[in-house]
Amino acid sequence: MSLKDILSPLTVWRRTAEKPYTVIDPINDRPGAARYRGFHKNDMEACIGCGTCETICQNAAIDLVPVEGIETTNGDSGLRPQIDYGRCCWCALCVDICTTSSLTMSNEYIWVDTDPEVFRFVPGAENKPWDNSELGYSRAEGYQLLDPERVEMPELEPDTRLTSFIEMVQGYSAEQAKKEADRCVECGICMAACPAHMDIPGYIKAIRENDINGGLALMYQTNPFPASCGRICTHRCEEVCAINHTGDPIAIRWLKRYIADMADESDYQAITKTAEPERTEKVAIIGAGPGGLSAAYYLRLLGYQVTVFEAQPHGGGMLRYGIPEYRLPYDQLDKDIDLVASLGVEIKYNTRINGLKESNGPKESDGPGSDGGPAPSFEQLYQDYDAVFFSTGLPDPYTLGIQGEDHPRVISGISILEDVTAGKTPDLRKSVAVVGGGNVAMDAARTARRMGCEVTVLYRRREVDMPADEEEITEAKEEGVKFITQAIPVRIEDKPEAKGEQAAFVWGEAEMVDQGEDRRPKPVLQEDKIHTDLFDTVVPAIGQGSSLDFIPEDMAAKIGIIKYKIKVGLHGETGEPKIFAGGDISNRLKDAISAIADGHRAAKGIDRYLRENQSKKETS
Amino acid sequence: MTNAPIIPLTDNHQAGRRVDLSSGKYLKLWQGPQHPGITGNMSLELTVSGDEIVDLRTHVGYLHRGFEKLMERRTYIQNFPIVCRICVPEPDFNEYLYAATVEELAGIRVPERANWLRNLTLEMARLASFLQWIGGQTGAFGMGVIGQWGITHRDYVLDLFEELSGGRIYHMYIIPGGVRGELPEGFEERARAVLDKVENLLGDIERAMFHNAVFKDRAKGLGVIPREMIDSYGITGPNARAAGVARDVRKDQPYLLYDQLDFDVVTASGSDTYDRAWVRFQEIHQSLSLIRQMLTRMPKSGPIHTQLPNPLHWKIPAGQTYRRAECTRGEYGYYLVSDGSGYPRRVYVRGPSYTHAVALMESMAVGANIADVAGLMVSFHTYPPEIER
Amino acid sequence: MNTSYQYSYTNIEELLEILVEKGFIAPATEQQHATVIGRRQVQSSDLAFVTVAPEAARHLILDLRDRFGFTHLVLLTAVDYIEEGKFLLTYLLHNYELHHDIGVQVPIGREAAEAGASMESIHDLWAQAGTYQRELKEMFGIDFPGSPRVDEPFILEGWDEVPPMRREFDTKQYSETTYFPRPGRSTNDPADYMRQKLYPKE
Repeated sequence: MSLKDILSPLTVWRRTAEKPYTVIDPINDRPGAARYRGFHKNDMEACIGCGTCETICQNAAIDLVPVEGIETTNGDSGLRPQIDYGRCCWCALCVDICTTSSLTMSNEYIWVDTDPEVFRFVPGAENKPWDNSELGYSRAEGYQLLDPERVEMPELEPDTRLTSFIEMVQGYSAEQAKKEADRCVECGICMAACPAHMDIPGYIKAIRENDINGGLALMYQTNPFPASCGRICTHRCEEVCAINHTGDPIAIRWLKRYIADMADESDYQAITKTAEPERTEKVAIIGAGPGGLSAAYYLRLLGYQVTVFEAQPHGGGMLRYGIPEYRLPYDQLDKDIDLVASLGVEIKYNTRINGLKESNGPKESDGPGSDGGPAPSFEQLYQDYDAVFFSTGLPDPYTLGIQGEDHPRVISGISILEDVTAGKTPDLRKSVAVVGGGNVAMDAARTARRMGCEVTVLYRRREVDMPADEEEITEAKEEGVKFITQAIPVRIEDKPEAKGEQAAFVWGEAEMVDQGEDRRPKPVLQEDKIHTDLFDTVVPAIGQGSSLDFIPEDMAAKIGIIKYKIKVGLHGETGEPKIFAGGDISNRLKDAISAIADGHRAAKGIDRYLRENQSKKETS
Repeated sequence: MTNAPIIPLTDNHQAGRRVDLSSGKYLKLWQGPQHPGITGNMSLELTVSGDEIVDLRTHVGYLHRGFEKLMERRTYIQNFPIVCRICVPEPDFNEYLYAATVEELAGIRVPERANWLRNLTLEMARLASFLQWIGGQTGAFGMGVIGQWGITHRDYVLDLFEELSGGRIYHMYIIPGGVRGELPEGFEERARAVLDKVENLLGDIERAMFHNAVFKDRAKGLGVIPREMIDSYGITGPNARAAGVARDVRKDQPYLLYDQLDFDVVTASGSDTYDRAWVRFQEIHQSLSLIRQMLTRMPKSGPIHTQLPNPLHWKIPAGQTYRRAECTRGEYGYYLVSDGSGYPRRVYVRGPSYTHAVALMESMAVGANIADVAGLMVSFHTYPPEIER
Repeated sequence: MNTSYQYSYTNIEELLEILVEKGFIAPATEQQHATVIGRRQVQSSDLAFVTVAPEAARHLILDLRDRFGFTHLVLLTAVDYIEEGKFLLTYLLHNYELHHDIGVQVPIGREAAEAGASMESIHDLWAQAGTYQRELKEMFGIDFPGSPRVDEPFILEGWDEVPPMRREFDTKQYSETTYFPRPGRSTNDPADYMRQKLYPKE
């Protein structure tokens, strides 16, 4: 033992004079670090109650519970995460995966209470001292568990698109579809937004698991138009998609299309078949659009004998005559319709119900049905069938209501689309003005571009106010359509030198006048800013109205048709128990998926009505 | 007394010797499961004759939470917060190895800066763990004051972990795909200040611990591991290096950025408690140097995480792999088997304590003095949770 | 090149070729299932797995240790392939000269007759192996006759259920029947809840 080893330790005795390292008052003097994973905070306004936090929690510490003052609305389940601090391990995976970034953590870590129950709490709903803490853990930049970027959809280049009516969206490959399907968190918030309440997480999961037929069967439970809706659906689901809060929403529509494209047509019937026994009751359906055929499909599955009466030579309604081929190829629409027909639904084409006014569109058929029988009247159907469902849509284009609209160079947007569908070439010539901001306006403009026209769209409000789908606007621009917004039509004149061959379109600039909160601003014409432009064709496309003249007046009164509008119950019930209605004539959204949902609900309503009738008969 | 229990001795080398408790020559003693000489909960069942140990058995299981089993019913992302708990004082090796094996089977590449940050946290963990070990080693020999310094300075390192990861003990920072956050503003300066503080302390520790007659007297010659035991007992890390076996995963199979960093494998020859302590002490110095090198050379920016597939549906191709890292105590390894589903088929965690605290300790304690058991135990530097997983 | 051992080789592939020559494993074929005897899997340049029959395992392991330089037993554990009625034992060995790992994998029957699953012990090859084997007995019910204290509980105390690492042991069920969950927890599925709230009758 050396002397050095005895003396050496003494050299550190100076440390005895050191101040203590201990924090004397840690509760006050030792806040958690800036990114400390302390007690949870939740921004109740931003949270949508998607439950992804609950799914990822490895401790099963999170429940989704209703919270007072939080309503269930479109895009918000109204539920909020409740965390059990008896189980939580503060790993913050819930924060990392939160779709809205509403869930974060404070740097607070001291919470003392004698009641163990309080430690199961709803962050953000209970006024905790740390609710407004600036510090604490949140997901770092450059680190994200959910992929915010949608798999890009292959599309034709705008230049190529202009040369034909070939479908521009090319569809996902299997790999792309799986990658996109992988982004879904399966919260199901989209299901309420879908008018048909399709099981969206279910069929997306089927894609991930490579179960195409399973996915198709799921889709058919609520929608017999998967190939069509997979292309042109207004996809309200995507707007409320939880991932929409952190990046691009899941491409739900394209995934639906993927399943429809991949499913083998020969499997279709087996997939969609049910084992319901045949029933003897007959149901007449007027209109082979998405509403009518949806009702026909579900009624047929229930065993009813269904006949569909369609004035046009082909089915699909507005899907065929209002949507150009480059967005929805006819063979895809036919695939959907053929399945309905293959189940034993009789569709009588070219059969205009007596008194049904012709639209301004092409007149391929008139009067008697092509099968030789006489065109039935509405009363006849009412007499001959056990129930009638009509879904005749909105065929009549609205007029602009301005002077000179009867000019020979004014052609409605919907008639242009109908002409093209019927294989005719609309007489558009070179310069075309399309008036309106909806999908029909966009489609008319884009159709005109494909026919080589120079096209200007004039719309009375701002671009943000346009009812058309955003992508239709974007694609129209890509294809060289010019836009003039805040342009109010004033009158159409015939320039003497043009001799009816050109129209002088007079329009004025509009000023947007604020209408107060919750009301969109109103365009007001500025009298001093009037322009006159010469066009070969002026195309009004500002919407369409119904055509219900085939219904006799007394019947119309019973049904409850007032001023071309009809009010129906949840299951399509009208004032007359035997008559049901749905589709664009009655619903607010006026899109295909809503009509499909109407048809499905009406089928349930008709089924209930007929079963009640039957049991009445049996008891009497 | 004819039916008194006969205990077969544990040591494989001495198998066949029997201790007859009824002879009155022996006494049974329990050390633990709570004992300051043991990090975590574990107990040692001693059979002594006088104050000499004739038999020792390690009893573990007090911290058994069945991690490996739990992991089989959790998704790959859900296992990320679990693994750190398998070794409390240096959770980061678990985080790193779990991430590395998952990434290998899933074919995920980690951005360069994330690798630097991972490497940085692994060395910080080494530093913190060694500082805690100083507490145990000196405490076991009655030099608790030095232990307090070690623990205090470990807390400064934990402060750094807290500001980097949001947690002091369970950092949950290294996640499959990368890391969970950038260095906070001003981290480098604060880290360097802590390193300087620790370095300053090391001088004092050297004088008070290694040049201390008491420590030398008790540690030298205690628990000498013969060279031939190294492979037979699966001894790794400082326990092997103190026996002159120059093995270090960081050098032998460099992972992360160790092949770009400047350091030597520290060895000693005495293979006793003193030399093991000395090797660890040198490795603390080395760790300081490695952290400084990384702070200097690390790229200043860059991606920290690779976009993973959606963790809620994440399936990993079928396969198996084993990856190891050099933790403070030796070879830490993860053996991961995937059957292609969203849940691991099997995760086996190889912690160095598994052999050091059981077979090795049971063998080395025989012949030692009761008072030295704690010091001997700490000199193997073991942590029970990684034994019982 | 490891020169101090009987068989010298430089890389994993070469090692596997020697093992083929010696008849331990089959020549390289396409990837088979892990429990198929003769299979090989090269995971990386420093890690490979080979599957051999239980009778051949000790011989191979001894050869690897003494003639190839795989002196370090890294770990010994099992994977339960319950659907095939097999356990797959993995002896992971490490060569400190070349820094290679080889996993010797041995499929054994899960419940071989009355004796239960059993495997030859290697406690005499590595002193630490006894601990691994004791744990495997406790956690998987795999017996290693002759291994020291193999029947002594290692981690568990008074355990009389199925060996817990076997796949049929359900931890969740066990905890639900053994412990008392605190009452008062219930959760809601967002989609179901929205259906009830927004369109209950559709």
